[in-house]
This record gives sequence, structure tokens and C-alpha cells, in this order.
Amino acid sequence: MKRKNLGAMLVIALVVVMATVAATMSSPSNAATKHAAKTVTINLYASGDVNVQSLWQQYLIPGFEKANKGIKVNFIFSEHGANDTTTLARIGAAVKQRKWSGIDVVDAGLVTTLAIDGLTQPVVKATAPNIANVDKKLLTPVHGAAIPYRGSSVVLAYDSNNVASPPRTLSALLTWIKAHPGKFTYNSPNTGGSGYSFAETVVDQFIPQNVLTQMDNGYVPNLESNWKQGLDELHSLNQYVYQGVYPNGNQAVLDLLAKGQIWVAPVWSDQSLTALKNGQLPASVHLLQISNPSFTGGAAYLGVPKTARNKASVYKFVNYVLSPPAQTQIINIMSGFPAIPLKLMPKAIQNKFADVSANSLRPTYSQKQSSDFKAQWQQTVP
Amino acid sequence: MVFPPVAVIAVFIGFPVVAAIAYTLGRAGGPNSVVASLGQRQFIVHHGVTVGAYRDILGNATIHRDLWATVWVTIVTTIVVVAVSWSIALYLRLADSRLARIVSALSVIPLFIPVVIASYAILIFYSSDGFLKTVAYHLGFHGFPTLGYTLTCVTLGEIWVNIPFGVLMMSSGLNGVPNNLIEAARDSGASMPRVVRSILLPMNVIPTVIVATFTGIYVLGSFTVPYLTGPTAPNLLGPAMSNFFSAFNQPQQAEVLAIVVFVLALGIGAAYVWANVRTGKRAGATT
Repeated sequence: MKRKNLGAMLVIALVVVMATVAATMSSPSNAATKHAAKTVTINLYASGDVNVQSLWQQYLIPGFEKANKGIKVNFIFSEHGANDTTTLARIGAAVKQRKWSGIDVVDAGLVTTLAIDGLTQPVVKATAPNIANVDKKLLTPVHGAAIPYRGSSVVLAYDSNNVASPPRTLSALLTWIKAHPGKFTYNSPNTGGSGYSFAETVVDQFIPQNVLTQMDNGYVPNLESNWKQGLDELHSLNQYVYQGVYPNGNQAVLDLLAKGQIWVAPVWSDQSLTALKNGQLPASVHLLQISNPSFTGGAAYLGVPKTARNKASVYKFVNYVLSPPAQTQIINIMSGFPAIPLKLMPKAIQNKFADVSANSLRPTYSQKQSSDFKAQWQQTVP
Repeated sequence: MVFPPVAVIAVFIGFPVVAAIAYTLGRAGGPNSVVASLGQRQFIVHHGVTVGAYRDILGNATIHRDLWATVWVTIVTTIVVVAVSWSIALYLRLADSRLARIVSALSVIPLFIPVVIASYAILIFYSSDGFLKTVAYHLGFHGFPTLGYTLTCVTLGEIWVNIPFGVLMMSSGLNGVPNNLIEAARDSGASMPRVVRSILLPMNVIPTVIVATFTGIYVLGSFTVPYLTGPTAPNLLGPAMSNFFSAFNQPQQAEVLAIVVFVLALGIGAAYVWANVRTGKRAGATT
């Protein structure tokens, strides 16, 4: 009898726990429906380094909410994209069952995958007038289903106190690395885009353009044998790289650069310019773009899952992000590139980007192709 | 009436494990359909099973290196943790002085420091411009090795993280040995080393086994310490699993690695079960 009571109590306890969990999980939507007449909530998922987080959290979202009373943006951030794969699975599963995934707009690398797999709303159906200003060429790699909202590129950072004449081409850079053992490193490609870009650039110099185009726009595993020569070249750099180590994450490389442990490294333009502005990098660190080939870069995309709620408000938000004032903020805060033509931007910004623009940046491999590239790097280089 | 707890275990642990094992063997239907629709380089069959994913992982030279690194770091960490925590606990048991209490209190501090913070601190401490190397340099030892980003650093970090549990477990075990047993032995003329060997050691076997098995299992599956302080390659299987799952988008291979770690942990778990059975038998014999 006693044991039976215990069992019954456990059942009750379990039911109570589950009910509580269910209640806490559903309460935000209850609250949302109650205030539906007044407030609409948009769930934004973003991933990246802390600079992306502060751009949304401190500037774009408050700016939008101030201008659009009655629309609230709920910000979900995943540092270094740690939750990207699960979020991809979550949105994929929800859209396939025609259900709401809990996310209305996405700013992450996974947007391109969502777009290519047909899980996001095509741009032609968007109700944001500012999308018309975006360069049409940037829509090709994402099958017209994602909205470019800023550009950023990987550049070469060097400490001018120790490096008087920095290398300006890829081959000069490789020569420099071998001549200065221990003064260069890049983060492992699977932990950040700047190291990834260096690795891909070294490999790309040996690959014909038509093969590259296929890898940038699709997933062609049988072309991956082309990587062999470049990966061997990267492997030969092991003995010249700082401690033979490829740190984890873009920020770890900036830290080594700031401490003077290394003198030259590939870095994200936006992240390092922000660090220079905040004094996290010493002023002696300068940036330049190499040539033949240049480092990769490209647009960051916003994606609206097909089953997103409140699409009208979501596109109002997208429209705000693509407006000249918000784009100016992106450039000032993130040191990113604008996604809309320079002629729509203030004069000071136009001068700043006289020689470089987001759409002339060298494109990078498609998401699936780059996953394979990271795996092969891990197996053959370190 | 044990059904509710069994149901909880079955739903939240049993079912996902079965689904994961089915996925590693190439079955992509049902609960695995979402992950399988997004993953890359999968080995999928519609009838029967395939060991393709296992062959892919176990035939991978990088994984071999990672596996050996994991085994070695686990063995060294376990031995050091058992030895150090035994000595601290023994010191505390036999010399109940203020110094002994300070030592034991210090040894438990890592328990209260988040592993992420501790890992960064360890990395900076042992890095090429870290405290250790700077001190060695000033003492004229210029060739002092840089331990940051090495497997040695990972091992030091794992030991640091695991010491508190070892000390707590061992000292509670040794405190459970009645004083009159020790006093009786001393009265019969036994030396202190003899007391340790013939009374404290045999009566503290179970805590020792628990510390060794739990430390081993913890290190096998650890992620934060090797991810932050370890080399790019070879590193432990924890970071490797994470790489396969997210960066390489190969969830099937990641789950195969998880099963490899599970099998290794199973071996350690067997030792733990054996120790428990042994206590059960002894308890049955004495009462």
C-alpha cells in the first residue's frame, strides 16, 4: 500500500512538473495574444561574435522600436554560432510541417542554407521597399530567398612597429610567414571566419575559376580533390605558425595580436576596426587587403522563414535595417560595408568607401562545401 | 510500482539513445528524419543496417590520434588525481592541524570556480607570456617550455578541475574509519605506515574506486578544458565531437564518436559496478 502511494505521488509530482514547464513555456505567447491589439513581437535569431550582438542589441533594435511603437523585437543570440546547427534543424523541421518555428527573422550563416533549401520567403514576396536598392548580384548565391543587409571582409592586420613593409599579395604573405617563424597564425577554420578565409584563399589560388564558381554556388563533393595542393601548402606552414597552434575563434587571434605575440594575422575588417576604435587593439595595428587572390568576404544575409508570424511587421523591421540611417549605423558601429548603393548614403560614408564596396568582395564557398572544407582542413593541416 | 521513474528514464534517456544508435547504423527515418535531412556525408540504408559511419570514423587517422590523446590524458589525470587526493585526505586524517585544514580547504576551491573561467586562467598562466614562464625566465631558466595549447596543459587543467571531488570523497572515506581501530593498532605496536597500509588503505578502497571511475568518465567526455587550453590537433574527443556536429555538419559521425566515448566509459563503469557489488557482499557478510 505504501509503495502504491509512493508511485501515485511520483505520478502527481511528474504531472505538476510537466504542467509548470508547459505553463512557463506558453506564458509569453499568452501574454502576446492578450496584448495582440497593441504589441506585436518579432523573434530575431542572430549568431556571430560580440560585435554582431552589440549591433542588434544596442543600436538597430532600440532604433527600430523607437520609430515603430507597438512592435517589439525579441533578440535571441548565439555566440560563435554555437546553436546554428540546432536552430537550422528547428526551422527546417517547423517549415516542413508548415508550423511556426518560434523564429521570425534570422541573421546567421545558416540563412544561406535555409534559402537554398527553399525554407525562407523569396525576396520578391517581401513588402520592404528598400530591398529594391540592394545589389541583385548578391541574390544569386541564395536563390533570391535572403536579403543582404551588410558586407564584411577579411583583411590582413599587421603590427607596424615590427613590420615595416607588409606583404600585399598572397604569395608575398606566404614568403613572409616562412621568413618570420612564430609571428603569424590564424584561427582554426571551424571556429571562425577569418582563419577560414585565409585557409580558403591559400587553397583557392590553385583552383581554376570555373571550379570555384561551382563551389561558391552549390555543393559538388567530387570537385574536392582540387583542394589537395592548397591543403599541402597549409600543412607546410605548421612549423612557421605561432607555437604550431591555430587558436579557437576570431577573437583569440586578435588577443595574440594585441599582446604582440604575433605580428601578422588575417582578421575580420569590421571586428578589428571596432577593436581599434575601442582600444582593444593598439593603434600600431594597421589593416590592408591582399591581392592575387584577395581574402574572401561577402554579404551577411537576413532570412525570413516561410512560416514566420507577423510578416508585415517583420518586413517593416527589414526595411528599417536597409534604410540609410540604419546602414550608416552599421558602418559606424561595426565598420561593415553598406548593402545599399553608396549614392544613397551620406557624403562622409561615400568618401570612406571610395575604393571598396560590398559587392566586389570575393565570394566564399557555399555552406555545405565549406563544412567539408573545414573537415578536410582538420584532418590534413594541423 | 516503479513505473513512473522508469517511464521518465525511458522517455528522456532510453528513447533518444535508441534513436541515436539507429541513426549511427544508417536508419534515418522517424525521429532521425530532421537531422538526416540536413546532415552531410551520411551513410543511410532503408533496409537492415550499415556500419559505414563507424568505418568512416574508425578509419580516420585524425580520430586515431584524438582517441590515443584522450586515453592517455584520462589515464594520467586519473592516476594523479587519485594519488594527490589520497595524500591530502590522509594528511588531513592523521595530522589534524591548522595547516592541514588550510590545505584541504584550498584543495576544494576549484569546485567553486566555473570551468570556463578556470580554463582561461590556466591557459594564461601556462602561456608563452604567462606567470610560470616569466618566473622561470627571471630565475635564469630561459628554455622553460611553453605549456599553453598542449596536451600537458589539458592534463593539468583536468587534474585541477577534478581534485576537489577526489579530496572530498577520500577524506569522507578516511573519516569513516573509526579512531579506535587506529588506536588499537598503535597500542599493539604498529607503526604509522603500517596503520595506513593495513587499516586505512583496505577500508578506503570503495571511495578510491569511485574517485578513479568518476574522474575517468569525466575526463573522457570533457569539452571546455581541452577546447580552450588544448592544441588544434590531436585533442580530446569532446572538441572533436563538437567539430563534427556543428562545424563539419556531420551529425552521424558525431554520434558515432559519442558511442565510442560511451563504450570507453562503459569499461570504466564496469569497475565501478564491481566495486559496488563487492561492498554489497561485504555488507551482507558482516550483518
